[in-house]
Amino acid sequence: MILDLSFIGFQLDLVVLGIWLSELFGMPLDLLLCSAMFILACGSLLLGYPVAFTLPGISVIFAGLGYSMGIFDFSIVGGVPQRIFGTMTNVVMMAVPLFVFMGVMLERSRIAEELLESMGQLMGRVKGGLGISVTIVGALLAASTGIVGATVVIMGLMALPTMLNKGYSPAVATGGIAAAGTLGQIIPPSIVLVLLGDQLSSAWQASQLAQGNFSPSPLSVGDLFAGALIPGLGLVLMYVLYQVLVAVFFPSACPPTSDAEDAIDLKPVLAAFLPPIVLVIAVLGSILGGIATPTEAAAIGAVGAMLMAGYKIDKADPKPVMVAGGSIVLLLILGALFDLRMGRQEIPTIDYLAFAISLPVLAAMVWGLCVSFLRIYRAGVLQEVVQMTARTSSMIFIIMVGAALFTLIFLGFSGDYYITQFLTNLPGGRLGAFILVMLVMFALGFFLDFIQIVFVVVPIVAPVLFLMDINPIWLGIMMAMNLQTSFLTPPFGYALFYLRGVAPEQQVKTTDIYKGVIPFIVIQLIALIILYNFEGLVTWLPGVVFGTGL
Amino acid sequence: MDKLVRFCNVVDRTNEHLGKFAAWSAFALVITQFGIVLMNHLYSEGSIAIQESLTYMHSLLFLGAAGYTLLHNGHVRVDILYSSLTRERRAYVNLAGTLIILFPVLLMIGFYALPYVNASWQIFEGSTESSGLHLVFVLKSLILLFVTSTLLQGISVSVHSVIVIAGFGHLVEGSLGEKSQ
Repeated sequence: MILDLSFIGFQLDLVVLGIWLSELFGMPLDLLLCSAMFILACGSLLLGYPVAFTLPGISVIFAGLGYSMGIFDFSIVGGVPQRIFGTMTNVVMMAVPLFVFMGVMLERSRIAEELLESMGQLMGRVKGGLGISVTIVGALLAASTGIVGATVVIMGLMALPTMLNKGYSPAVATGGIAAAGTLGQIIPPSIVLVLLGDQLSSAWQASQLAQGNFSPSPLSVGDLFAGALIPGLGLVLMYVLYQVLVAVFFPSACPPTSDAEDAIDLKPVLAAFLPPIVLVIAVLGSILGGIATPTEAAAIGAVGAMLMAGYKIDKADPKPVMVAGGSIVLLLILGALFDLRMGRQEIPTIDYLAFAISLPVLAAMVWGLCVSFLRIYRAGVLQEVVQMTARTSSMIFIIMVGAALFTLIFLGFSGDYYITQFLTNLPGGRLGAFILVMLVMFALGFFLDFIQIVFVVVPIVAPVLFLMDINPIWLGIMMAMNLQTSFLTPPFGYALFYLRGVAPEQQVKTTDIYKGVIPFIVIQLIALIILYNFEGLVTWLPGVVFGTGL
Repeated sequence: MDKLVRFCNVVDRTNEHLGKFAAWSAFALVITQFGIVLMNHLYSEGSIAIQESLTYMHSLLFLGAAGYTLLHNGHVRVDILYSSLTRERRAYVNLAGTLIILFPVLLMIGFYALPYVNASWQIFEGSTESSGLHLVFVLKSLILLFVTSTLLQGISVSVHSVIVIAGFGHLVEGSLGEKSQ
């Protein structure tokens, strides 16, 4: 294409310019444009325009440039509507809005506050107790709400002032809070694992097909959930262990926060812990037990969260909520024990009886649910939750739409070919490629969100790594834990920003937060090294639960 | 100037309503999926049409609320630098970003989506399952709803930015386009 600038007495042949540039940098033009596109996309994100549009926006500009230089074929972009439609009809991804709904609903029903308060009262008697309870509450919130920012903010507002006033060292207090907040990335059921599972599974399928395996064992989100369970709980254990060590060797850094003279009252602790624990076990259990898909389990969890919120709003009258909850349990038991299909030719009397019982129970459940829904609607909670869910889901999926455009254009520049060439020719082979990918993701984690990294980096690098015979579940968990570490690492870690925003400036210096998280970063690195050497810690449980041969 | 502000307010209000309407499909999604699980577990009953309706709610949720999300500044930004900028500087970022990045992307998606959706309307494309929901042409049209609502919101964002840059920031103080969350 020739750019006519004759009004300044100048004509620019872009094709010639392209050849000149390619000779100047000594690499093929598509490789040059493709690398420049990647670097510029990451750079321009820093200006602060929404990520969902910046990524595809830069790529569209480069596509136009490549087209005018005669090396880019726009027909590949024609696949965009099909890709968007693929996102719309992806049933696995439907778990995302449902899990968001559940998390926001639980957050609005203030379970975090109650958990922290009751647990802090109990554990605060011993040295380091409040710090340990922050870790445990963080783990439970991670499993139920999975919202990193919210967890850090709530714990920063609720637990941090108490810890500081009772003489906790600012570093110990803030480090524990920031680290506990990031657990939401790794402890299932986590939204990021759903996204990661979706991306990894399509890359896995593609790489197996490319290797001539036409019926590869599929990789599911459930596999990732199962794979993340042992590493996630292991991390919690290591966090607690560290806090115990601090309490033993530096008791002055984490003094008791509540009066040991008070009588021990377990009731409020149980009342606060039981509902979220039951919910998490129900959701996770039905996925790992193979009873429900993640999407179905998320819907059950969302209904459970609404019941909890309905209970919290009007504690004086818990009857409808109890009735609804009890009916659901009863219905699940009925369904499991009896065959209630009424279209059969011969139906035993006992099944008739069970069917007859199920109808009024169903009616009671509907009544109890409706009362709860009305309560949260009248309190204005339901409206807020659906709107928050809409904004969060839209944010995630529009990034996905944008990333689809970015990836297509990247492929249009044969980016996949160059990435494969580059990664397979690295010194150190499999280990070298793996470490480089991990380092790049770690660095990207400083200024990109998990979601964007998953959508941009995973489809590009995962197929290459799979060709090197890397286990997909293990790779997913390593990536998740790697990014979690990145979000903790100064100076750019996300969790640190959230915590800085709520921590009182005169009592907590930013360097205190940095000092506080360093031990946790070391823990993360140890965990990564352990997982690297003992792949079975990740792959054993999915194998047992789902029998997948991955 | 007055007319432009009024136009933006119309766009903002439309997207606000559209977004709040689309948001309810999150609730519908929860209830429908829950009902499906229960009915399947209890009576082994299921309907392909209801199962497929989940896709429609899910798509309406994130595509219908995209403009609304932009209006509420809900599309995540890398705010290491952005958060420390003044209101005028932010307006520059938003104006430039909308013109150079948002509009080309949306126009490109729209350019390829239009024939795609049109082809679907030509045959009133239905589900691949005979007892499914035969409204796939409506489902595909949601892509255009996303492009249109976000494009309009983009216009509103750029007008707001121009007003702020021109030093009339007080005119749009507290209006919908200036919402933070």
